[in-house]
Order: sequence, then C-alpha cells, then structure tokens
Amino acid sequence: MEFKLEAHRIVSISLGKIYNSRVQRGGIKLHKNLLVSLVLRSARQVYLSDPCLGGPGVGGPPQPPPAQEQLPGEPAPGWGEPHARDSSMEQDPEPAGAAPEPPALPLALGKRSLEGSPLLRAEAVPEAPRRRVEAAERGGGGGEGALEGPPRARQCCCRRLCCSPHGAPRADCGCRPRPDDGAPPPPVCPRKRSASGAGGGPAGCLASGGSPVKKPRRDSEEQPGDEEEMETGNVANLITIFGSSFSGLLRKSPGGGREDEDGEEEEEEPQRGPEAAEPGPMYCDKPVLRNLNPWSTAIVAF
Amino acid sequence: MAGAGGGNDIQWCFSQVKGAVDDDVAEADIISTVEFNHSGELLATGDKGGRVVIFQQEQENKTQTHSRGEYNVYSTFQSHEPEFDYLKSLEIEEKINKIRWLPQKNAAQFLLSTNDKTIKLWKISERDKRPEGYNLKEEDGRYRDPTTVTTLRVPVFRPMDLMVEASPRRIFANAHTYHINSISINSDYETYLSADDLRINLWHLEITDRSFNIVDIKPANMEELTEVITAAEFHPNSCNTFVYSSSKGTIRLCDMRASALCDRHSKLFEEPEDPSNRSFFSEIISSISDVKFSHSGRYMMTRDYLSVKIWDLNMENRPVETYQVHEYLRSKLCSLYENDCIFDKFECCWNGSDSVVMTGSYNNFFRMFDRNTKRDITLEASRENNKPRTVLKPRKVCASGKRKKDEISVDSLDFNKKILHTAWHPKENIIAVATTNNLYIFQDKVN
Repeated sequence: MEFKLEAHRIVSISLGKIYNSRVQRGGIKLHKNLLVSLVLRSARQVYLSDPCLGGPGVGGPPQPPPAQEQLPGEPAPGWGEPHARDSSMEQDPEPAGAAPEPPALPLALGKRSLEGSPLLRAEAVPEAPRRRVEAAERGGGGGEGALEGPPRARQCCCRRLCCSPHGAPRADCGCRPRPDDGAPPPPVCPRKRSASGAGGGPAGCLASGGSPVKKPRRDSEEQPGDEEEMETGNVANLITIFGSSFSGLLRKSPGGGREDEDGEEEEEEPQRGPEAAEPGPMYCDKPVLRNLNPWSTAIVAF
Repeated sequence: MAGAGGGNDIQWCFSQVKGAVDDDVAEADIISTVEFNHSGELLATGDKGGRVVIFQQEQENKTQTHSRGEYNVYSTFQSHEPEFDYLKSLEIEEKINKIRWLPQKNAAQFLLSTNDKTIKLWKISERDKRPEGYNLKEEDGRYRDPTTVTTLRVPVFRPMDLMVEASPRRIFANAHTYHINSISINSDYETYLSADDLRINLWHLEITDRSFNIVDIKPANMEELTEVITAAEFHPNSCNTFVYSSSKGTIRLCDMRASALCDRHSKLFEEPEDPSNRSFFSEIISSISDVKFSHSGRYMMTRDYLSVKIWDLNMENRPVETYQVHEYLRSKLCSLYENDCIFDKFECCWNGSDSVVMTGSYNNFFRMFDRNTKRDITLEASRENNKPRTVLKPRKVCASGKRKKDEISVDSLDFNKKILHTAWHPKENIIAVATTNNLYIFQDKVN
C-alpha cells in the first residue's frame, strides 16, 4: 500500500514539475521533461497495477512497485489489464491501424525494450496529463497566468458527459469508439495556443512547419463551455488525463485525420518551444494539483 | 593518490578562490562552465549571466619555489546576451553552457563559447603598444586641421598598459532547434561539433552560414521520443571519430567516414542495468551528464548521477572501471527528485596523465579517483580552508549508522552547494573547482 502512496506522491510531484517547466526561463527543457515523464509513467503504472487499490490492477499479478519490465507471461502488463475497463471509456475514435484499446499494447518500460515498440512509446510519453498551451488568445499575455481549470470532462462521442468514470458505459449512451472519426473531442484539457502561434517558451506549441497557427481548440466551439466544465468536473477530468491520454494519441493519424492535427502534434510531452512542430502533451496543472483528494478517488475509479 | 610526478600521494592545498564572498548569490554569477586552455596558462569560466572571465597564470617566479603562479583576471567580457525568439515566444538564456579553447596558433587566443542556441568564436588579444605621433590626428583622436600641419613625422609605437581585448570573430547561429549541451573542437583544428538534445552539427570554424548535420535522433513522431543526446565529444586524435552520450546511459561512437549522417553508430557502449537497483528513478540516474575522452584517446569517461565509469573504446559491453561518487544518495532519490537535485548535471575530468579522474558532488565536496591505486578521496571547497598552502583535509560522508568524528551524515549535506564543474590543468596538478558562484584553485603541495 505504501507503494501506492509513494507512487501517488511521485505522480503529483511530477505533474508539478511539468507544470513549472512551462514557465521556466529559456524554454522547456526537453531532457528534463523526458525524464520526468518517464518517472511519471513508472509511478502511474505502479499505482494502477497495485491490486490493493481494488482498481484495475486486479487484472494482473501484483508487481513490485519498481517493476517496469514486462511481466513474463503477462501479455499486457501495466497498460494492458488495468485498462481493460478503461477501454469502455475510450470514446475517442482511434486510427484504424491502432488497437481498439490502447491497453492492449504492452507497455514495456524496461530500458531496452522500448526500441521495438515505438507505438508503445507513443503511449508512454504522454502519460503525463496533457499540457495546456498558453494562449494569448486567452486574453493576452497567456504566459503563466492563463490557467484553466481542470481538463474538460471526458466526453464520449455523443458529446455528453454520459459515461461514468467507473468504466461501465451507461446503457443509454450507446457510444463506442469510432474508427476514424475525428469529431469527438479528445477529452483532455483544451489546448491553447498563443495567438501569435509562437510555439515556444513556456507553453507554446506550433503547428508543424513552424508557421504560426492559431490552432483551433479541439473543441473550439465548446471552449467557453470548457471552462465551466473544468471548474466542476475535476474528478472526471482527472480520470480523463490518465485514462485517455493515449486515446488521443492513437486517434491521431499522420495524415491528419483529426480535426486539428496540429494539436495532436503537441502531445509530445517534453518538447515544447524549441521545435515549432513538436507535439506537446496536454496536462492539467492547477486543477490536478488542487484536487489531489478527488484525484485519488478518480484513480480508484480506474 | 598518485600524482603526475610519481607514485607519491598528492596533498592538495588551497591556492586561491575567486568570486563574491557573500552567501547571497546573484543568479547571474553562478558559474556554468570551467575550462583550462591547452597550455594551462589560461583558465576560462562562463556564468549564467553570459559573461566569460579568463584568468591567467602568473609567470613562475624564481623566488617562489613553493608554489606555482597564481591565476589573476586576464579578461572579462560579455559573451552572450539574453535573446528573445519572437516567432516562438521563447526566451533564450544567455547562460554559457560550454567553453572550449582552440590551440594557440599565434599571439592571440581563441575560444568557443556557447549558450543554448548560438556559438561564438572569440579572439582574445593583447595590446601593449600603441602608435603615437600621427600627423593628422591628435592624441585623443580628434582630427587636426591639415592647414596647421607644418612638419611631418613618422608615428611610432610606444608601450602602454596591457590591454586585453576580446572580440567576436565568428557567430554560429540558427543551427539548433533544441538546447545546445556540448561543443567539441576536432583534432584537425578546423572543424568542431555542436550538440543539442536531438542533433549534432559539424561546423567549419571559418564558415558561419552553414553546418552539416551529422547526427539526428529526432523521431518522426515526437511522441516516440525515448532518449536525448546529453553530451558529445570528438576523439582527441582521430579527426573522424566522435562519441555522444544519451539520457538512457548509452554512448555511441561514430565514424564520420562511414556516412554523411552518422545515425548508425560504429560502437554502442552500454552496461546492462542491475535489476536489483531498479526504482522509479533508475532511468533518471542512468542518464549520462558528461563524457570525456582520456588524453590518450584509448579510454573515455562518463558521469551519471551516482557514478563515474571508465570505458575502454575496445570494449562495448561494460565499462572497465566504475567509481561510486556518492552511493549514499541512492536511498534518497525520491527526495532528490523532489528538490530537482536528481537532474543536476555533474561533469568529470581527467588529469594530464589520465591516471586520476575527478568529479563533483554536494556540500561543495569533490571526489578524485586514482585509477592505479584504486584509492579515492573526498575534498571540500570551502572558504574555511583559505590560507594558501593549507593542505585540504579529506572528508567523509557517513551513510548510516554511527557517525564518527569528523564525518558528515548524509542528512546534513547541503544540496544547494553543488560542484558541477571541475577542470584539471593539462600538465600540472592544479585544479579548478567551481562552487555555485566561486572558483577555487587548488594545487598539490610542492615541497
């Protein structure tokens, strides 16, 4: 149990670091953020796989907290089993090529096993909650100040907060992942972009090609609504961070099958300002940090 | 500890300390790099404020046989200024990440200094004469009215107070999207490499408007990013060979003759991880923060968070020597993660004969490992021992259990006092050790 507490603590510390890195002088440090994301992923895996939570970990054999290697005989450790239930929450359509559920992809955290699984890495890196991009469009001087509430509550394809965090879709929802429908918004923090399109610095992300692009928010039309939701839907949003951070990625197709492909590119967690085209992760900062209690509840719900 | 001169143990003595005394450290004064030039006569430091300070060793005084010349300020200049990339809304820090000296070819000295984005070639030259006696100019530079000139004279050089001028001769900009972490001058003395998190570029010292990209590890999909480049260095003798280290603890040796883009390494140095040491932070502490070839070129040394490893270039599967710098921190990794200390990038250096290696630690401690005797020593850079020729007392950290007298317990270490940058004179037993904002110079005791 103490492993879980430790993991919880490490996750929240890591989130704080990622958040703070956005406002550092000199821009986001790719190296440090990469390392933090690795820790975050490890901690999260431990947290989710520890069966004493009664959470998703029941699906897999208990792992020692630091265990990051793929368990022998466990086809889908970490991400696999624990997320079996998550898949029902995965309302976001995914590219045809990807497994219907991200959990099916084993996430091997061992040092050497990553080379062969770039797609898994795609999951791994953005484990950190998605990061918001500061946007001048928020009212000038995006900078550090423009904080939003928690990420938008997870929405299923029918754009309703219909599915409970506990995994079982409501009967009346009828939602299911649609293969390549880019329409349903990714249930993550709306990403903001600096109005100038400048991607760099604390939180900027640019469209590929480096041209300043006022990237539409994923759910641009819901943006005003987002804020309201974020104020209230913390718990669900927090789940969203961890449960669906990969769904968005998997949805993404290189050809731009999503409504704002540029936005997806920003999901690369550590990379920020330096490379205009780099994806950057979305994460929730203040809301996450502010709501650690509901957070654990949310995680339990996983 | 064997010194350059023989098998006797060296006794290190305090020699000098440079920098402000007060504890309140201005951020701009934080030293970010230290480097001796090829002769050891000059010692350059760079700081977070973008300044470079060069110290010069006094000529050895025949009467002062018991110590070598002192280092005094020779030149100070502002190398880099803060910049703002408007397109990306990104501030570019002026902090000097690395300084590398070019070998001296004429009266002037040249060095490369770099911040996160731009490398500059600086010429440092002395001026100790100036022409006097111009016909058309007054001494203060004002022009004389030609009609008042009745006789002509030949201007002559007259001695003046030594003036050291630094001028930027080349600016190598706009070639790095990510933060530059290393520069290294090739043994051909014509080219050099610069490395950022994902790419390494090859430059010619004369050409600033283009560079060749020789390593690119940026994945097509940034979400697949798993490692970054942390350091790179040219081989000291083979102008076609360089190495780069990664955040995963691997070192790749590349041969530029093999292909234009050296994405495929010639050798991969990696030590299998010890599964019993696995923790949340295993990946972080295996990230290599510095890589340095030995002077001979036969070995290279890497520094990760807890250890220093010496690799034989002929053996890729494990290092030939491993030295624990501060193993007692292994149980504290979580706290060190919280306070960000786990991300500290320690450097390491060889002595001139490649027999001893040195690296820094916390509490203003630094460590030396003698490769021959396998003995190690921990010393402290502190103003308390600041009488010249005071022999430094070895320090010891008590990891657990009963603390002996004079030992320091792990919990009382000051993690804000870290020694990240150290340098060893290429020929003598003189070392420069940078604490946060002070530069200490120690010498071996000369009897």
